Amino acid sequence: MDVERIRFERTGGFAGLKIAKELKLNDLPDDQARRLQELLDDMDFDELPGQMKGKESMPDQFTYVITVKTKKGEHTVVTGDASAPEKMQELLQLLNRLARTRKKQS
Amino acid sequence: MHRHSSIYCFVPPHILKNIALNGTQRQKNLAIDTLKISAQMRGQRQALADFAPATFRVAVGGKDRVIYDAKNGSNLPGIVVRKEGEAPSADVAVNEAYDGSGITYDLYSDVYQRNSIDGNGMRLDSTVHYRQSYDNAFWNGEQMVYGDGDEDLPPNERLFNRFTIAIDIIGHELTHGVTQFEAKLQYFQQPGALNESMSDVFGSLVKQYQLQHLASEADWIIGAGLFTENVNGVGIRSMKAPGTAYNDDVLGKDPQPGHMRDYVNTLEDNGGVHINSGIPNRAFYVTAVELGGFAWEKAGRIWYVTLKDKLTATSNFQACANLTFTTAGELFGAGSIEQLAVKKGWSEVGLTVGTEPQPGGCLPAALRLMGIR
Repeated sequence: MDVERIRFERTGGFAGLKIAKELKLNDLPDDQARRLQELLDDMDFDELPGQMKGKESMPDQFTYVITVKTKKGEHTVVTGDASAPEKMQELLQLLNRLARTRKKQS
Repeated sequence: MHRHSSIYCFVPPHILKNIALNGTQRQKNLAIDTLKISAQMRGQRQALADFAPATFRVAVGGKDRVIYDAKNGSNLPGIVVRKEGEAPSADVAVNEAYDGSGITYDLYSDVYQRNSIDGNGMRLDSTVHYRQSYDNAFWNGEQMVYGDGDEDLPPNERLFNRFTIAIDIIGHELTHGVTQFEAKLQYFQQPGALNESMSDVFGSLVKQYQLQHLASEADWIIGAGLFTENVNGVGIRSMKAPGTAYNDDVLGKDPQPGHMRDYVNTLEDNGGVHINSGIPNRAFYVTAVELGGFAWEKAGRIWYVTLKDKLTATSNFQACANLTFTTAGELFGAGSIEQLAVKKGWSEVGLTVGTEPQPGGCLPAALRLMGIR
């Protein structure tokens, strides 16, 4: 999977603040772009089911919508704090961090 | 929590529940662990809510707090760092979680005669230092969980402090537990916004109770102190003036409406549960200030009894308005100043309840009209 862009969206949470950002891998520092690619490959992201969210939403947990775009197309996964598998935690953390820094993204 | 390599992993939840309720002690423990793990994985808390009071905890009849440290990992609950009656820790988050859950317990116990979240002495478990840079707190169906905010960002980019910093957040999370055991308001659209509002109402009352603030001197802000100084805002939500808590270059503007005409239709955030909660929040604020005195005594009691005995999983705003009005009549009398204050509270947010009591003569007819007798 040759990742070009990742769109990350986080909604809900105690504060109810939405975070949304589209990241172009080419624009990121090499080490971060490489790590994102590795994490997505390791979890076979394109094979994951689109809905990885429990039917019942737990109070104040985040909902994450991750869309990964490649030359071949795109794949979206919706998940939440309690339903996201352990192997996805580092990806969520990294995307969170990249998406909410104050630095203005072009 | 230790993990069994459970033999029950392929057994359907309804059968596990039966085992948990009726099996031998060893079977019970295995079944409960399996249910807890699968519920945690699937995000399904109903499985837990159905029988949690009977099996998860031993009722000890008093305040029983345990604080855990997740050590920045995601496994819950983590390691025990402070138990009921133990001396303060060197870790401020541990002490805040301990003290905050204690005052929340006290408000429910002293004022509403409720013994803990389930009404049956359930142990209050809290985990601090959940994950890294986790700017959130939540109730997972059986415990409170708190992150440290965005502590990994450079100081001038940080937006959130640790989530135990504001006691009303602690009261908010614990009240999600109370709602889970009582009205079971579904976490979606209007019932979800009521679920959120109940947590804000009692979260704010916990803070007011701690400070012994009158309704007129309380700040009615949810999450004061949670934002760092980099954020232009006083807190996460304002019950007094929804939509005015923050207005910031990075975070944008507080999106909460304070009136039905501004109700936000959205599918995000479970149908706007953290947005539209501004409407019932303000109804409570207006009621409490109208009545004066300590907000937990009258307005709080009306809301508490409504949450405990009247609301159901699918109640919407209008139903909550009607039910708080009915409850006020039952507790304080039809046409009482308390009932009129409730009516005014909802009226200010665009919801009409009851009819004007007729002065003299036709009280029984008026009561029938209001559906009270």
